[in-house]
Amino acid sequence: MREVVPARKGAARDSVSSLVDDLFAGDKRAAAKLISLIEDDEPEATEALARIFPHTGRAHVVGFTGPPGVGKSSLINRLVRRYRSRDRKVGVVAVDPTSPYTGGAVLGDRIRMADTGVDPGVFIRSMATRGHAGGLALATFDAVRVLDALGMDIVFVETVGAGQSEVEIATRAHTTVVVEMPMTGDAVQTMKAGILEIGDVYVVNKSDLGSEDVLVANLKFQLTARDGWTPPVIRTAATEGRGIDELADALDRHAAYLDQTGFRAKREVARARLEILENAQRLLSRRVANRSRLGRAFDALAEDVAARRLDPHAAARKLLEPTRPRGK
Amino acid sequence: MIPIAKKIRVLIAKPGLDGHDRGAKVVARALRDAGMEVIYTGLRQTPEDIVEAAIQEDVDAIGLSCLSGAHMTLFPEVVKLLKKRKSGDILVAGGGIIPEEDVPKLKKAGIKVVFGPGTPLRDIVAFFETAGKGA
Repeated sequence: MREVVPARKGAARDSVSSLVDDLFAGDKRAAAKLISLIEDDEPEATEALARIFPHTGRAHVVGFTGPPGVGKSSLINRLVRRYRSRDRKVGVVAVDPTSPYTGGAVLGDRIRMADTGVDPGVFIRSMATRGHAGGLALATFDAVRVLDALGMDIVFVETVGAGQSEVEIATRAHTTVVVEMPMTGDAVQTMKAGILEIGDVYVVNKSDLGSEDVLVANLKFQLTARDGWTPPVIRTAATEGRGIDELADALDRHAAYLDQTGFRAKREVARARLEILENAQRLLSRRVANRSRLGRAFDALAEDVAARRLDPHAAARKLLEPTRPRGK
Repeated sequence: MIPIAKKIRVLIAKPGLDGHDRGAKVVARALRDAGMEVIYTGLRQTPEDIVEAAIQEDVDAIGLSCLSGAHMTLFPEVVKLLKKRKSGDILVAGGGIIPEEDVPKLKKAGIKVVFGPGTPLRDIVAFFETAGKGA
C-alpha cells in the first residue's frame, strides 16, 4: 500500500540524531525536517519523538476551531504579534484539508499570517489532513511537540474549517477557542451539540459586520460553567485588530485557571490516555494491514466470507489470532 | 484510511510588488490536482519571507511568480538566501512575464527552469514531480 518513493535529498543528508540535536539548539530547519518525518510516518520519526518527548510539556497549547472563513488565521496572526510584543515565542500549526480525490492540498493559512515574516521567535507550519477526520491531521500534535521542544512558549493550532462535530481539538489543546461570526443562523444553531460545547473561550469575530449582539446573547444563553470556569464570549474584528487584547487576556486567564485548579495536570492525564489508545490502534491496524498483505490466509478468509461460510466479524477475529488462521 | 506516502510539498510565492496572482493560483491548483501539498503565501513577499517560509514548511521546491519586471533582482536573491540557510537542495522555478534574453542569466543564477506565458500546465506539474522525488 505504501508508495515507494526515493527519499528526499534533504532528508537523506541529515541523520535523525543530528536533527534532534539541532532542534534542541533552536534550529528551525531541523524542526521543519523532523515534522516532515513525522508527517510522512517514517520509521525514524518514532525514534526522534522518543528523544523529544522528555523535553516537551512547557508550551501552552491553544486550539482554534470554527467554520471556514470565520477568521481563525487572521485572529492567530494578531495574537502572534501580541505575544511577540511581550517577548513570548510563538508556534503555529495550521491544518487545511487534503483532497479525497487526488491527495493534494492547497495550504493557505500563511497568507493571513504574513505579518510575522522572518521574526526568529515565530514558527509557522501548514499541514494537510491527509485523510484524517476530526479537523486535524494525525501528525498535528506530534508537530506541536517538536515546536514545544524548539522552545516555543505558546503554540496555536488551527483546525480545518470545522463544521458542527469536529471536536477532536478539545481533547488535545490546553485551551480551546471556538470562533463564530454574526449572521450565520438563529438561536437554535447555538443550542446544537458538538462544536459549541467544547470551547473554553468563545469568539464572535467580524463584529464590525454588525448584529453581533444577537450571536453573543445566544452563545451566552447556551454556555454553562464547567469545573468552575465560565467560558467568556469575546467580540473581535481581527482585520482591524479590535478585541485582540481582550482575547489574549482571556487565554492567559484560562491558562492561570488550569494551573491554579490542577486541571492542567488532569487534562494531561486524560490526553495521555487517549494518545496511548490511539497509538495502540495504529499499531494494531498496521499489524492487520501487514497480515492482510501476507496474502494466502487472508485470501482464504475473504473467499470464506464471500461464500457465506464465515461471517466478517468471525473472519476479523481469525485475522487477529496470533497463529496463522486456517481456512475451513 | 488513506495510506500515508511521502508527499511532494511546494511553496508558490509572489515576490515583489505586483498584485497579479491569477497565474500563481492556477499553478497552485494544478499542483494540488496532481496530488501535491501546495503552500501559497500570498502577495508582496520579500525574498527573506519566502526563504523563511520554505524552510519552516520543509518544501521540496519553490515556484516564484513575478510580473513586475523585478525578476532579475528577486529570483537570484531567493536562491542565494536558500544557500546561506543550508537549504540549497530546495529547487527554485520561476514564472511570469520574463524576456527571453533573461532566461539564461536566471538559469546561471540557479533558477532551475523558467516558465513563460503559454507553458502547458503538465510541463509545470512534471517539473515539480521530478523535484519532489529528489531527481
